[in-house]
Amino acid sequence: MPKISVTIDDKKLDVDVGKTILEICKESGIEILTMCHLKGLTDVGACRLCLVEIEGINKLLSACTTKIAANMIIRTKTEKIKRYQRITSELFFAERNHVCSVCVANGKCDLQKLGYKTEMDHIRYPYLFPECNVDTSHPWYVLDHNRCIMCTRCVRACGEVEGAHNWNVMNRGYQVRVISDFDTPWGESVTCTSCGKCVHACPTGAIWPKAIVQGQLEKKPEIIAELIEKRKMNL
Amino acid sequence: MNRQDLQTIIYAEKAKEQNNKYKHKLCVCCGAGCISSGSEEVLKKLQEEVVTRGLEAEVEVIATGCMGPCNQGPLIKFLPEYTIYQKVDCSNIKEIVQRQLIEKKPIEDLLLFADSRTKPFIDAREDPYYKKQMKIALKNCGHINPERIEDYLVHDGYHALDKVLFQMSPEEVIAEIKQSRMRGRGGAGYPTGLKWETVYKYVSPQKYVICNGDEGDPGAFMDRSVLEGNPHRVLEGMTIAAYAVGATKGFAYIRGEYPLAIKRFELAIKQAKKLGVLGNNILGTEFSFDVEVRIGAGAFVCGEETALIASIEGKRGTPRPRPPFPAESGLWGKPTLINNVETFAGISPIINNGGEWYSDIGTPKSAGTKVFALAGKINYSGLIEVPMGTTLREIVFDIGGGIQGGGEFKAAQTGGPSGGCIPAEYLDVKMDYESLTSLGSIMGSGGLIVMDQSSDMVDVARYFMEFCMDESCGKCVPCRVGTKMMHDLLKKICEEKGTRIDLERLEELAVYVRECSLCGLGASAPNPLLSTLRHFRHEYENRITE
Repeated sequence: MPKISVTIDDKKLDVDVGKTILEICKESGIEILTMCHLKGLTDVGACRLCLVEIEGINKLLSACTTKIAANMIIRTKTEKIKRYQRITSELFFAERNHVCSVCVANGKCDLQKLGYKTEMDHIRYPYLFPECNVDTSHPWYVLDHNRCIMCTRCVRACGEVEGAHNWNVMNRGYQVRVISDFDTPWGESVTCTSCGKCVHACPTGAIWPKAIVQGQLEKKPEIIAELIEKRKMNL
Repeated sequence: MNRQDLQTIIYAEKAKEQNNKYKHKLCVCCGAGCISSGSEEVLKKLQEEVVTRGLEAEVEVIATGCMGPCNQGPLIKFLPEYTIYQKVDCSNIKEIVQRQLIEKKPIEDLLLFADSRTKPFIDAREDPYYKKQMKIALKNCGHINPERIEDYLVHDGYHALDKVLFQMSPEEVIAEIKQSRMRGRGGAGYPTGLKWETVYKYVSPQKYVICNGDEGDPGAFMDRSVLEGNPHRVLEGMTIAAYAVGATKGFAYIRGEYPLAIKRFELAIKQAKKLGVLGNNILGTEFSFDVEVRIGAGAFVCGEETALIASIEGKRGTPRPRPPFPAESGLWGKPTLINNVETFAGISPIINNGGEWYSDIGTPKSAGTKVFALAGKINYSGLIEVPMGTTLREIVFDIGGGIQGGGEFKAAQTGGPSGGCIPAEYLDVKMDYESLTSLGSIMGSGGLIVMDQSSDMVDVARYFMEFCMDESCGKCVPCRVGTKMMHDLLKKICEEKGTRIDLERLEELAVYVRECSLCGLGASAPNPLLSTLRHFRHEYENRITE
């Protein structure tokens, strides 16, 4: 594969063409914060955590959706980017009702980790405290909207990998919600195959298997990418 | 139908116009504004009155598109005298016809602007309202019947299409548009010719042309009036664009709140296909192009090009990050040219008169004319078209007739919820892309809301933030949560409960949302807040509790 030269955080690198900035950074051991990205799923650039500065481009671009190009000079950890990442993190926490101490994902949650990584010591914005439902109608799984951060990883895992299209998004603005079918209880879905991919794709404690308690959640988000690889081998 | 057949129709129509048996043409404005004030009833009554008096042999009564001063409607215009009557009521039609057509003594009290000018003009073209304007995109709006393709043909309609198909190569068309220095009228001001060239250069068996008619700014109705008043002009512009970039299929995305525009544009498509200026083998050439209408379902964000494309594809109307730009990967992943209604409306005059002619109009960096929708506390609200570089003062005072009730001008909001305000000390700013940007506002699509001293600027910022909060698609975090947070903080300050820390948070969030949002909606949502902070900071400071 042809190589191109780029500079990321003052490091000169020879990298493959055709890959995204995020892929290159991961391969080169440069950490980029992400939330809506999950290997194996189409990237949507929604969480804005992976924004990077590129010389000669007057706006910040999401590393997950921007293809690397020759001679790009990229900065991933400037003061500005760190400040914005912290605001994003605070807005995530203020948007819905995240109470780590009683959450099944406590200690294993990507959102919680983001809080630590962005050195968020407190939240400067007023909590919105929206009224959110908990859908326990599915025999095995629970969807708790209080903990959902609208990354849409479940929506994409269900549509792109399982092909069931059970999950979708309704409403707009801060009132968006993930819905099952046409906003019916998950247990009454006619499309859900109960495959559990959404459970593993979810970065927080928003979707989880029943019969576990605080801190017991075990997720394997990497199974999405593994599954795609295995399918390729079968072909 | 081939080229000769079309020429025959045009000659026949032109001959009919020249040997016109009618001595008078009576135009009744049937744009959405005048219809809502009762112009359809006026049209009916006028037609009846003409028949009753036995004048049908010499007076032709037609329904036209928008004439401009919408809040003075219903408007009727007598040609060739160019005498316009305003606020026409069914009860004074008899008298108007008697005095104007029989006695030839116009009723001065009912003429356009009679209630605000010391002496109204019998020939409306003499009025500063029209004198300061220059109509290119709106040229035939208000003169022709938008529901008759023949009316358009007589006024050089589809002449530009004929010219490009038989005398110009796609490269030459693009060169002409580039020479005109026209910039996209949707708001961002991207050079039109450059956009066309980019799409042209991508090699693909399938390309698309999209007309963005999802005009959603509060107080803006430029695209609606163009689509209602002269739909064929837009269709011709799209067809020329398709020829230039190599597209065979087009979509006109028109918002659902514009039923009349949709109806007239669909009718225009039908008529154009019948005459062979649209569809397969246009004018007997190898070139084929078809257009379909797609109706927007009331989401402001669908005016953003990538969201609009998703909506046409049948998906949820949410934007996606660019690059790739639609020119490379647009509708169904194919190279797509997407331009605004007003941009397409300006294409055929450029082809007919040459790029140089267009580039001589306006300012060095912003060529041509711009349509503005005047609204708010202005005497003559409605639709105007002026050369780029006309000052705000000329627009508000010379054309718009000044502030309602003799009030004092405080600020004008340009660009709607994505734009900013211009305070009184900058009344002499030239209205072009760069000047407005340097003041912290934007040209936008052309909405211009005038405010007087009674306007509370913090509340103005709160209003536009509420709009953006409601219209945010909810995909990216900065826009979804940021607009909600900023709105809540603004509301708190409006209620005089805000603190200095709230103001600091607000400013920090504004910059964050502007820089981090995924699409233009979020990136420009803080503009009204930032520009009112810049020009009217004291109004915020006065509300702060320590």
